[in-house]
Amino acid sequence: MKDRPLEVSGLTKVYRKSLGMKSFTAVSSISFNLNPGEIMGFLGPNGAGKTTTIKCMLGLLKPSGGSVSLWGLRPASSRVRSRIGYVPENPDYEDSFTPMEFLAMFASMRGLDAGKPGMNALLDRVGLNGWGTTRIRNFSKGMRQRLSLALALQSKPDMLIMDEPTGGLDPIARKEFRDIILEERARGASIFLSSHLLSEVETVCDRAVILFRGRNVREGSLVDLLTREDSYLVSHIPPGGAAGAMIEETVSGPALQARIDSIRAAGNSIIEVRQDIRSLEEVFLSATGGNP
Amino acid sequence: MMRTVFTFAGMTLRSLLRRRTIYGISIVIMLALFGIGQIPSFGVEGESTFILDFGLFGLELGALLLAIGLASNIYPRDREQKTAMPLLAVPLSRGQYLIGRFLGAALVQAAALLVSCIGLMLILVIHGHAVPGDLIPATALLIIEGWFLLAVVFFFSFWTSPPLNAPMTLLLFIVSQMSVVQFVSLYPQAPGLMRTLRLILPHMDVFRIKDPIAHGMGIPDVYFLLAGLYGLAYMAFMLSVALAVFRTRDLK
Repeated sequence: MKDRPLEVSGLTKVYRKSLGMKSFTAVSSISFNLNPGEIMGFLGPNGAGKTTTIKCMLGLLKPSGGSVSLWGLRPASSRVRSRIGYVPENPDYEDSFTPMEFLAMFASMRGLDAGKPGMNALLDRVGLNGWGTTRIRNFSKGMRQRLSLALALQSKPDMLIMDEPTGGLDPIARKEFRDIILEERARGASIFLSSHLLSEVETVCDRAVILFRGRNVREGSLVDLLTREDSYLVSHIPPGGAAGAMIEETVSGPALQARIDSIRAAGNSIIEVRQDIRSLEEVFLSATGGNP
Repeated sequence: MMRTVFTFAGMTLRSLLRRRTIYGISIVIMLALFGIGQIPSFGVEGESTFILDFGLFGLELGALLLAIGLASNIYPRDREQKTAMPLLAVPLSRGQYLIGRFLGAALVQAAALLVSCIGLMLILVIHGHAVPGDLIPATALLIIEGWFLLAVVFFFSFWTSPPLNAPMTLLLFIVSQMSVVQFVSLYPQAPGLMRTLRLILPHMDVFRIKDPIAHGMGIPDVYFLLAGLYGLAYMAFMLSVALAVFRTRDLK
């Protein structure tokens, strides 16, 4: 589909064996889509194949099987590259340059007008105000992350692909990054966010894909993923009991009516019956073979 | 398209100029010129012949060393330090990356060879000798030879490591200077195969013009033109092969 920013279908990436090393399947037959204006979380433990998938999406790696298309085009197409912004994991740039030099060169390579006020505003937006003429070799990991965000935002991309963008950041900077992600979505951009930070994904994402050992083990809207199917929380208090005496219990769908009847028969007052919602951490752990 | 390439070439140029490599190159040029400048103190006959002979040999060797020194580590460094990822992921295609990097390095190499040529001219003038008219076109030819070697180094850098790149380039440089007879003598059991192979391999002996210049023999302009075109065509061929290899590479 031409209007869909990203379509991954049956993507497989096998690193071929060389010099006695065994071949290794990093990603195996994964499929998912990113819809316009959506923020998708891409989760998985270390070695799950997240960065490999992203590199296939960017045309840096050639898929061994399946396909990746962005707006119906192949990833290496120049029309695609002009529409995306990429924030790499642990970004590294030629450290003899300054952020202003980098922004000017990236703008020129992208055919954009690189005015100094615009570049200053961009640096200000990502929290690098006053650092524009400092050589990158003097930057911390977090500052390099901020610079990579500035470079990604420079072209006002239709899609942002972010690989662990907040890995090296402190909580305040993480909040600033989140705010920028939400601003970009409000502008109309689609965002693909790979992250280890489940709370971050839970806060900003509309949908999530969970990858485990190169396979797509869960995918869906966050509401669907977090809602425990056929499981309810029933809150009730015994007769004459104070609010502090409230009892909360989990009841499966088929047993719900019988349990409500028995609670009432015991003279308890039912306060609330609601669907059981799990945390993303619980979903993640159950999908990846951990607990619960 | 070209604006992107030229911007990236400018970035490569700046990056190379900021690296310490450039200081090393400058020191080697200075030392070589100083050494050549000492030739008259030996009181040899045919002083200008010696100066030109050593000088042009130095320029050719410089072209080779500059190609290896400048280019063998560009792509491996970009890959190891992951500086290539943000560039190749978004603003640059692989072709633009290769051409941009090549142009940046080629400019530095050409500038270094030109400075060396000017130094050689100054030595000749200081010692009261005439500067041969063919020295400038000869230097231009050596610059083209240097660019060809640069393309070879880029080609090797996409599928081998820097420590292997240098000996492989050197081997190609030596082999490409050989005559057909010399080349066939390497493996006389298959003369037909060796002759064909020699035909395909580059003929860099066409750039070896120091002897006629040093001995004051005139070189026709058409020779410079044809040798230059041959060098540029082979350079373009090597860059195309390098790009074909690069396009198959995964950037892990």
